[in-house]
Amino acid sequence: MSTALEQIEQEIAKLSSKAVKKNTGNIRTVADGVAKIDGLSDVMYNEMVQFPGGAIGIALNLEEDEVGCVVLGDVSQLKEGDEVTTTGKLLSVPVGKALLGRTVDALGKPIDGKGPIDSKETYPVEKIAPGIIVRKSVSQPLFTGIMAIDSMIPIGRGQRELIIGDRGTGKTTITIDTIINQAKINKVGLASGDKNFRPVYSIYVAVGQKQSNIVRTISALDEAGALEFTIVVAAPAADNPANQYLAPYSGAAMGEWFMENGMDALIVYDDLSKHAVAYRQISLILKRPSGREAYPGDVFYLHSRLLERAARLDGKGSLTALPIIETLAGDVSAYIPTNVISITDGQIFLETDLFNQGIRPAVSVGLSVSRVGSAAQIKATKQVGGKLKGELAQFRELAAFAQFGSDLDAKTKSQLDRGGRIVELFKQPAFAPLPIELQVAVLFAMQKGFFESVDLKKVVDAAASLKSFFTTRKDALLAEIRTKAALDKDLEAKLQAACDEWKPTYTG
Amino acid sequence: MATHAKIAQQLARQLFRMSIVDGALSAERVGGVIAWVEKQNPANPVMVLKAYHRLVAAEVAKGVAIVEHAGAIDDAVLAAIASSMSGRYGRKVTATARPNPQLLAGIRVHVGDDVYESSIAGQLAALESAV
Repeated sequence: MSTALEQIEQEIAKLSSKAVKKNTGNIRTVADGVAKIDGLSDVMYNEMVQFPGGAIGIALNLEEDEVGCVVLGDVSQLKEGDEVTTTGKLLSVPVGKALLGRTVDALGKPIDGKGPIDSKETYPVEKIAPGIIVRKSVSQPLFTGIMAIDSMIPIGRGQRELIIGDRGTGKTTITIDTIINQAKINKVGLASGDKNFRPVYSIYVAVGQKQSNIVRTISALDEAGALEFTIVVAAPAADNPANQYLAPYSGAAMGEWFMENGMDALIVYDDLSKHAVAYRQISLILKRPSGREAYPGDVFYLHSRLLERAARLDGKGSLTALPIIETLAGDVSAYIPTNVISITDGQIFLETDLFNQGIRPAVSVGLSVSRVGSAAQIKATKQVGGKLKGELAQFRELAAFAQFGSDLDAKTKSQLDRGGRIVELFKQPAFAPLPIELQVAVLFAMQKGFFESVDLKKVVDAAASLKSFFTTRKDALLAEIRTKAALDKDLEAKLQAACDEWKPTYTG
Repeated sequence: MATHAKIAQQLARQLFRMSIVDGALSAERVGGVIAWVEKQNPANPVMVLKAYHRLVAAEVAKGVAIVEHAGAIDDAVLAAIASSMSGRYGRKVTATARPNPQLLAGIRVHVGDDVYESSIAGQLAALESAV
């Protein structure tokens, strides 16, 4: 017995005195959040390195006799000659449900003052996107709660849909509405006790934004009760460019955890224009060759490898991505917008003119598209809104043409009138997403001509009245639409009867 | 300025490659390089020599195991370390002792960029970062 004990003690002694190998280097220069390091001969690309004082860095440039690292943390404490050590690890962030309701930085550390996050797992920030074998085509809808989008530009779980437009056109609002709508659906679904219900968790990544805007977004989510299903990853404008560069990848890692564990998640990158600018800054300081608009050569890969991580996996969950791109003067042909347009599965284009005309959300129907198409729509929406996009596009064309002449034939006048009503009907206030069953009811009423006798300026008012009528008095009917997700003859008759019942109540 | 530094770096690398004979640094070649720089006076000689010095120093460091120790260390241990490191790196490595009381106990061996940590101070630092 004593021999066995001696053996164990010897093993402990051996282990405790075992030498640990480290690969080290010394800082040659440090400036603008980037350190040039001598040595580190064993460092790997994208490996995490340890600086003195707890700061960490990522090796991005491996050259013949020096290594370029971005420093994540306080650079002011670092000086020439400081020892830097390799860690043998890729940068990882905490993942899991413990992060829901929390605001974290690019490294997954809490910044909301709510205490530490009890996360059991970590995922690498950089990960190869799922391959073609494990993917499944997008066929399940992800409702944004915005009627113009859900009926004409449907988004599916696992899709990448770009939201593009000039500043102040409501890009962020669309994504917040979508997150709020997921929370509302989650609450209803989880309360129903349906075992097949799959909640959608949201991740909002704020890159290069003003702190005040991030606070406003968090408040909006909190007020709507959506924060409990949301993770906010914040790398504001005041953060160093390395954190701004990393934040979307950290968010993607958190989203991947849900996807890999059979759950559905939605990730919003707000916005990738500022992300590209942060990466350009890092690349210029690292003295990488610059190309068009001074962006480095791999700026396409920067976004393609990020957005390719959004997918629907066979037998697992999905990660839906809503990247945002800010254009200048509506120029979608600039470098970064064209790159991201080509990577995503469609785009929602928001126009300043429409926004200023009071058409909000200012979705340009002609330029917006969802490449997944009606595969990501429920049958009921297809039944009531299948032809809407064509009708609205035709209306825009006719409206432009009608400006030049007053003598229009009856058919054109009727098309213009109908188009005008559809546009009015699609107006929706911010942070008030509509459940899909209510959208179906409103579109049904529109298709059946219940708004035709209403004055054009009063369509919004009439629609609000109809929505109120349905939510307060036809709850059972709405629940039936939600569960059946298709309009059969019986349901159509009930809807018709409900609309007939509503019509006299609206006096306009 | 940046271009000058780049050109000086490139020249230093060329001179360094010429200083290696059969995979080892040749003192004779290094002398030759210094003489060439003195005679030919290339652009920015100080920059070239500084860059060259850094490359040569890194190469020299690969052949020397600096053994930091807190307590006493005998020649047999140094010889064992030199032999072990020579085997590990596949080239001749000599061992040099350097006392360092801050280690508390144990040793720390530096060979080029690699550090083999087997000291109490190192273990405490690892423990601190793990907590």
